[in-house]
Amino acid sequence: MSECSDIVYLERVARVFAGAKAVDDLSLKLNAGEVMGFLGTNGAGKTTTIKMMLGLLAPTSGTVKVLGGDPSDPRIRAHIGYMPEVATYYPYLNARELLAFYGGICGLDAKTVRSRTDSLLESVGLADAAKRPLKTYSKGMLQRAGIAQALLNDPDLLVLDEPFTGLDPLARIHFRELLRNLKERGKTIFFSSHELGETELLCDRVAIMKKGHCVYQGPVRDIAGDGATNLERLFLKTLGEAI
Amino acid sequence: MKLFARQVCALVKLSFIELWRRNDVFALVLLGLALMVPLSLATPFGAEGASRYLDEMALLLVWGFSLFIALGAGQRLFPPEFESRTIYPLLAKPISRGRLLVGKYIGAVAASWSALAFFYVLFVASVLMRGGTFAAELPQAIVLHFAFVALAVAVSLLGSLLVSASANLTLSALVLVGMFFFGRRLPEYADGLSPALSWVVKTVYAIAPHAEFFDMRQRLVHGWGAVNYGVFMTVLIYALWYVFVVILLADVVLNRKRV
Repeated sequence: MSECSDIVYLERVARVFAGAKAVDDLSLKLNAGEVMGFLGTNGAGKTTTIKMMLGLLAPTSGTVKVLGGDPSDPRIRAHIGYMPEVATYYPYLNARELLAFYGGICGLDAKTVRSRTDSLLESVGLADAAKRPLKTYSKGMLQRAGIAQALLNDPDLLVLDEPFTGLDPLARIHFRELLRNLKERGKTIFFSSHELGETELLCDRVAIMKKGHCVYQGPVRDIAGDGATNLERLFLKTLGEAI
Repeated sequence: MKLFARQVCALVKLSFIELWRRNDVFALVLLGLALMVPLSLATPFGAEGASRYLDEMALLLVWGFSLFIALGAGQRLFPPEFESRTIYPLLAKPISRGRLLVGKYIGAVAASWSALAFFYVLFVASVLMRGGTFAAELPQAIVLHFAFVALAVAVSLLGSLLVSASANLTLSALVLVGMFFFGRRLPEYADGLSPALSWVVKTVYAIAPHAEFFDMRQRLVHGWGAVNYGVFMTVLIYALWYVFVVILLADVVLNRKRV
């Protein structure tokens, strides 16, 4: 497996918590401009893998490289955007203040933050609610604020943990369009999800995790060739579950 | 350096917004106004003792409020980030844990200082309205009080990474208030104990933050004049050293903490 051109490169990665293997012998790579869906049941090791990709957790063994370097290096993280599964953010801030705060943490100057904030709030549909405190936001609105903060530093790699959680159908369509636009702009996107339909619509490739192991990796277009008519069937077949 | 400056600015701004939008601090400011204004309007008919008593009351309130705000500010730096999971997007940004800790600490101290400055403005106004005056000890007293607040925030910050919120606030308040009132008597007290107990008390005296070093209330109230600048600088260096050690320990704890 070549690591030079890979945006994400994981080689035989394992992470052990108190003797239990949360992730074991995981190898995967993500090329520039690809969208990868990371699937699996609860506790399969998806979030642990994402934390290792972000440098929040060190692997017990194996190699984790993101954008050609160690993700625990802040200079590498300057090119990564991350949206967590659930975050309530700072309830006393409004969306504009939230983005100004994260912009400062990313080291962006005030002018850049202002211009990006305007376009991001517009693109995630929060322009009208930009001055409302986040404590008054619905779950879906918080998700949209989350994606806005993840995109603030114009990242090369976008890592999203369960991005469709809490979104209503209309917001999902908007969000899907947003991700498609990002993909067209050459962004590399890695997201974990339980939403198989959305994953099938968006992804170039999928990886399926089961009890810390990666049990399937392949392009979405090959799914039919695997004897399954859609991602849901493949997912159930891979995990050994009957419909 | 530019990146660090921007990060610190963002964290300081966050601390200010957080402090001044919280209901408890707002209530404290109102309470401060409610207590200080009557003090400023009190007319002790020229009785010097009564006037001093009012000053002492006002200063004790300022110290109490500042301790409350400092401990709360230190406590709120990290636990809410873990509870609301905002620590993940924060640490996924180009900032190390050490820088985050230092930036947050500076923010909490700056925000607490702003509240303390507000209380001192009220205090000075209340004294001046009663026709009182201040001598050279006022700037020293204020600077030492600000240094104490910086130390209290650091102690509370370290505690917040080790124990629960209630335990941290109780322990930090007990240690700081205990040292504030009884610290200067500890060596004398230790001399009267058995060797083993005396060693324990002397160890506590050596390790505990000496809040009493920063207390110039009596000098201020009775007009005893400024302290020797050598002593003043030694206390400031002590505060700096203590904060440095506590923040270093907090950095070790935070870096070992699993997210």
